[in-house]
Amino acid sequence: METVISTKNLFRTYNPDTIPVHAVNDVSITFGRGEFTAIVGPSGSGKTTLLNLIGGLDTPTSGSVEVNGTDVSHLKANKLIDFRLHNIGFVFQSYNLIPVLTAFENTGFIMLLQKASKEEREKRVMDLLEQVGLGDKAGSRPRELSGGQQQRVAVARALASRPQFVLADEPTANLDSVAASNLLDIMEKLNREEHVTFLFSTHDQRVIDRAYRVVTLEDGKVIRDENKRNG
Amino acid sequence: MLIKLAWRNIWRHRVRSGVLFAAIAIGVWAGVFTMAFYYGMSMQRLKTAIEKEISDLQVHHADFKKDYDLQFHIPEGDTLLDFLASQQGVKAVAGRTVSRAMISAARGSAGIMANGVFPEAEDRVTGLSKKLDTGAYFSTSRRNEILISTKTAHKLKLKQGSKAVLTLITQDGHLTSGAFRVAGLFKTTNGPYDELNVFVRQPDLNRLTGMGKGVNEIAVLLESHDDPDSVLAAVRQALPDLQVEAWSEIAPELNLLYEMTDFSSYIFIAIILLGLSFGIVNTMLMSVLERTRELGMIMALGMNKVRVFFMILLETLFLVFSGVPFGLLLAFITVEYTGRFGIDLSMFSDAISGFGYDAYIYPALQGYHYLAVIIMVATAAVLSSLFPARKALMLNPAESIRG
Ligand SMILES: Nc1ncnc2c1ncn2[C@@H]1O[C@H](COP(=O)(O)OP(=O)(O)O)[C@@H](O)[C@H]1O
Ligand SMILES: [Mg+2]
Repeated sequence: METVISTKNLFRTYNPDTIPVHAVNDVSITFGRGEFTAIVGPSGSGKTTLLNLIGGLDTPTSGSVEVNGTDVSHLKANKLIDFRLHNIGFVFQSYNLIPVLTAFENTGFIMLLQKASKEEREKRVMDLLEQVGLGDKAGSRPRELSGGQQQRVAVARALASRPQFVLADEPTANLDSVAASNLLDIMEKLNREEHVTFLFSTHDQRVIDRAYRVVTLEDGKVIRDENKRNG
Repeated sequence: MLIKLAWRNIWRHRVRSGVLFAAIAIGVWAGVFTMAFYYGMSMQRLKTAIEKEISDLQVHHADFKKDYDLQFHIPEGDTLLDFLASQQGVKAVAGRTVSRAMISAARGSAGIMANGVFPEAEDRVTGLSKKLDTGAYFSTSRRNEILISTKTAHKLKLKQGSKAVLTLITQDGHLTSGAFRVAGLFKTTNGPYDELNVFVRQPDLNRLTGMGKGVNEIAVLLESHDDPDSVLAAVRQALPDLQVEAWSEIAPELNLLYEMTDFSSYIFIAIILLGLSFGIVNTMLMSVLERTRELGMIMALGMNKVRVFFMILLETLFLVFSGVPFGLLLAFITVEYTGRFGIDLSMFSDAISGFGYDAYIYPALQGYHYLAVIIMVATAAVLSSLFPARKALMLNPAESIRG
């Protein structure tokens, strides 16, 4: 499988001068195109920190992160923003959407920043909203949507920019189990049918069970890496 | 899109934005109205000074102003008057003899300026007849009629019909005097002017001064006061031996007033805007700080700093400029209304007439004033957005999202 992300001896240390916390402690790992992978581990194990490093939101203390051959950890700040814009889709745990924009506008937001044409944008946004089952909610503001619906809009937005992969940090943490499994269904379908690469963190066992590969962190170290599906 | 986003963002807190909106509208209104009041008052003073007192241009003997000596007069007055009256842009012309003099009555005396005038010409240039409070304007054919102000009359206990004596120095340096009968009392809005001037017929005064048919001052009223320069240049060229001055040279203090009026109004508005800026900065800062997660999120997604900066800038401009039109409209209406009907300051009229101002003030503004205010407000808005925008740009997306 083609490698999309690879980290080498990645460290992220907080408070290096007082009581150092190695939030990410010597992680060397690769992720391939088309993966549907869960990063798991108890709270504080370093999931968010690892995803932020991969997504170019945080700078490693040492080691490197390569995305599609580009060393993200050494990009200049404004280059990095541009890199994120064109290569990485983000879904956060909460506060994903801009409250004053509709589902349609939120989904198209990144494409707008990318300066996509209006026709292309409208077509793709409607397409994606259909795919996440919200074709009829295009005109709704976030507060008119349920938590699960909001996360589905966030997934649609993450895909709108045609990123290399989607990083989702605990996307189901604030959802009830029905909404969570619904969101996973959609992500899995997008992975299967559109070959979208998903990397998501979670500590919810039901979500872990849906992943094809499970990477387990403890105290910032990878302690287990299991492939649950061959292929 | 950025525009839509910014516009919607400012209406997230209707009350907070509304308060600022009202503050800006009121501030702009107060600033513009004060400017109009001051501008109207100054322009009125200027118009009064030109149309009632000093005229647009004055012509003197080149040495006259050195010590107001009567020997420095213009002997061939009549032809010069005709020449000036025929100039393009000239409305009216009046020659006069002016001389320092002493007016004495039984109850006292005062140093004054005796103006020997040609009644009809003088009336066309300075509207002297309309300044009369009581009495008649040189209506009889009697010799030696004098018009004095009500102030001078009061001071010297004179009234219509009283006798007064003018004493002055002739053009060859002798002391002389003549008896005049008070034909009327005048009163203007300019107290010092009233105290200084008395008016007699020019031939009556010239009999005392020995100046024959000459005059020593020619006042020229122009059709328009806006641009005296072209007439000034033409007259100067035609009369190289005489001193020709525009109102701004005759009364430099008026010119200073004219030039300072706008400047001081702008300073006043700048002070108001400075005050408002604190409110703007505060509101925008609150708006940025409470949106930490949201701003962090859109920066994480790939919105670059330039765009974030522009979003905050646009929000500030929208916030400010939604209040500005109301303030301007309100100001425009008040200025137009009070400009038509005037503001009655007669209860302070003694105090303000001491500075030559009318008791009724008619606020007025030009288009460029409104434009200047808009530019100043925009500048204040841009400056006020810098600090909140900087705060937004300093956010670390990863930290902000963690909350
Ligand atoms: N800004 C920070 N300063 C200091 N320590 C931090 C900071 N952010 C995270 N940490 C620490 O880093 C470790 C990993 O945190 P995190 O990546 O959020 O774990 P997870 O997402 O698995 O809960 C934790 O011990 C946490 O307390
Ligand atoms: Mg976390």
